[in-house]
Amino acid sequence: MSNLDLAQSGALGDSRLAGRRGAAEVWTVANELPTFFAVVAAIGLAVYLLSNQFFYLNLLTMALLFGGLAVSWNIIGGFGGQFSIAHSVFFAIGAYTAGNLYKHFGVSPWIAILPAMLLSAAVAAIVSWPVFRLRGPFFAIATMALTEVAIAFAMHWKAVTGGASGLTIPYRAGLENMIFQQRWAYAALFLGYLAVTLLTSIVILRSRLGYYLQAVRDNDKAAEASGIPIMWTKLKGMAISAALTGIGGVFFMMYVRIVEPAGLLSLFDVGVKIPLIALIGGISTIYGPLLGALILVPLDHWLRAFMGSAVPGGNLIVLGLILVLGSLFMKKGVAGALRQVYRAWSRQQ
Amino acid sequence: MDQFFNVVALGMLLGGTYALVSVGLNLIFGVIRIVNFSQGEFLMLGMYGAYLGYSTMGLDPYAGAFIVVPALTLLGMVVYWLVMRPLQNEPMMQVFASFGLLLLIQNVVLAITGGVGMSMNTPFSQVTLTIAGVQFSATRLIILLAALVAAGGLGLFLAKTNFGQAIRAVAQDRMAAQLMGINVERTFMWSFGIGTGLAGLAGVLLTPIYTLSPQIGGNFVMAAFAVVVLGGLGSVLGALVGGFIVGLTEAFAGYYIDPELKHAVIFIVFIAVLLIKPSGLFGQAGAEEVGLREQS
Repeated sequence: MSNLDLAQSGALGDSRLAGRRGAAEVWTVANELPTFFAVVAAIGLAVYLLSNQFFYLNLLTMALLFGGLAVSWNIIGGFGGQFSIAHSVFFAIGAYTAGNLYKHFGVSPWIAILPAMLLSAAVAAIVSWPVFRLRGPFFAIATMALTEVAIAFAMHWKAVTGGASGLTIPYRAGLENMIFQQRWAYAALFLGYLAVTLLTSIVILRSRLGYYLQAVRDNDKAAEASGIPIMWTKLKGMAISAALTGIGGVFFMMYVRIVEPAGLLSLFDVGVKIPLIALIGGISTIYGPLLGALILVPLDHWLRAFMGSAVPGGNLIVLGLILVLGSLFMKKGVAGALRQVYRAWSRQQ
Repeated sequence: MDQFFNVVALGMLLGGTYALVSVGLNLIFGVIRIVNFSQGEFLMLGMYGAYLGYSTMGLDPYAGAFIVVPALTLLGMVVYWLVMRPLQNEPMMQVFASFGLLLLIQNVVLAITGGVGMSMNTPFSQVTLTIAGVQFSATRLIILLAALVAAGGLGLFLAKTNFGQAIRAVAQDRMAAQLMGINVERTFMWSFGIGTGLAGLAGVLLTPIYTLSPQIGGNFVMAAFAVVVLGGLGSVLGALVGGFIVGLTEAFAGYYIDPELKHAVIFIVFIAVLLIKPSGLFGQAGAEEVGLREQS
């Protein structure tokens, strides 16, 4: 399906638009479902078509993973307006929980999803409680500090993380081990992950929590005055977002089968990349983060291959430029730009 | 006991380094409330600037400061005008833009230098002073001195001069300051420039101690943010004291607990301070919120 179809169906429109759609009509989860199934089916078709083209399949797999992570982040970062750079921490918690349970206790990663979610959510709630006193940029800095603490601990706690040399998982293919011989199976797995995050995101956006989060984002003083429990709302959003990110960590662990703290907790490769993807796609829309991942992951890969080999760091020069120009001229991301084009087009009609 | 005093001395000297790096950030982050992740990159540029002066003109790094600091002040002003000014009311976009600048500057330097580590010496590099059995390296002492002078100078500048008062007025209430006839954008531009210039000064003074690499800014900028928040936004004295706290914490944690965990300890202290006193040790209560309220 084309991107314009998405824009037309209102999928890229944000919730504030939805209220204006008709005088009495409230946009509910049921209204969102057709688009959701169409998007998932379209990506499923892409996975099927690419199932023998390993290069593109791998790209798509990574794009789906980061799409899922960005959609998860968007719940607290976009709807709630709390710009966490610390989601790599929850990602790492998911990966290490699954890795250790599987390696040392033979627990199937499918079962490990539950403890990974609970642990990520618990850590998120505990560390967010003090940090949520800070607002805006101050919050972002505090989460960045959190990443530093996590790296130091991950490097130190070798029994769990394997220290700098990393944690490896033996290769034993099988559905119960979440390790597959066929590459397309991973793409399908990450598509499933993406679908779960998208569905959660839709349900939250169209529920009381979603409206609370947006109220807190837009004006927390007014939200508090209207009787919204600010801290509780933020904590809930954060815990759900972190739990979903933890699932991503579980799947990632079983996909790559070797993780090390420097890569997993890398500020740029994970921590900032997740919000960046959401920003490029369109923060606080449902499909924007997915769109961002489908654009940025292949772009990043391509830049690494072509620019990176020509000039050291060349890929990051281009990425840095995109980041600066994007924040200057495309504040609403690709989704926002598409919406503007669509509006201009419909006004002409 | 000798060991203890050595650790204290090390912590104080390290603290001086952090304080110097933080003074500039304090102006940008604490006063004009821009989260500038690329601050460390200006420090790095300062180091490479000093190296350039040294390798092409044989300039001593301490003399090179007289060229590098004004150059980086100018560069900071240009960056403010082109990138930060259009994003004035969008703090989150500023965060992203400054992160983009970080990537850009870091990798342009990497592309130019090819990532070769460089180091340089000054006549002071090998000099150490020994006072009562405790050793001080001369280059570190110079940094400590520079931190005190920079903090004192900046404090006086903010308190006594017209322009310093304008900066404080803009920080307190942008709208009211504008109504009083202060050119807000020009004030911000100068503040940003002075902040990056001070980062450049820190970079120049650090060249005799550290090996130059394009990524070196990252080593200091996180600690600097911790120092600024710890000391209190906008408080020059806070930056100084915060720098010493972080330096001493790092030295003690590194010696008595585990060198690998020293960063974790710093940030745990940092988060603890946020918990107990979110405005920092010397900041005005509520300062961590005021900035945002003004900007939104």
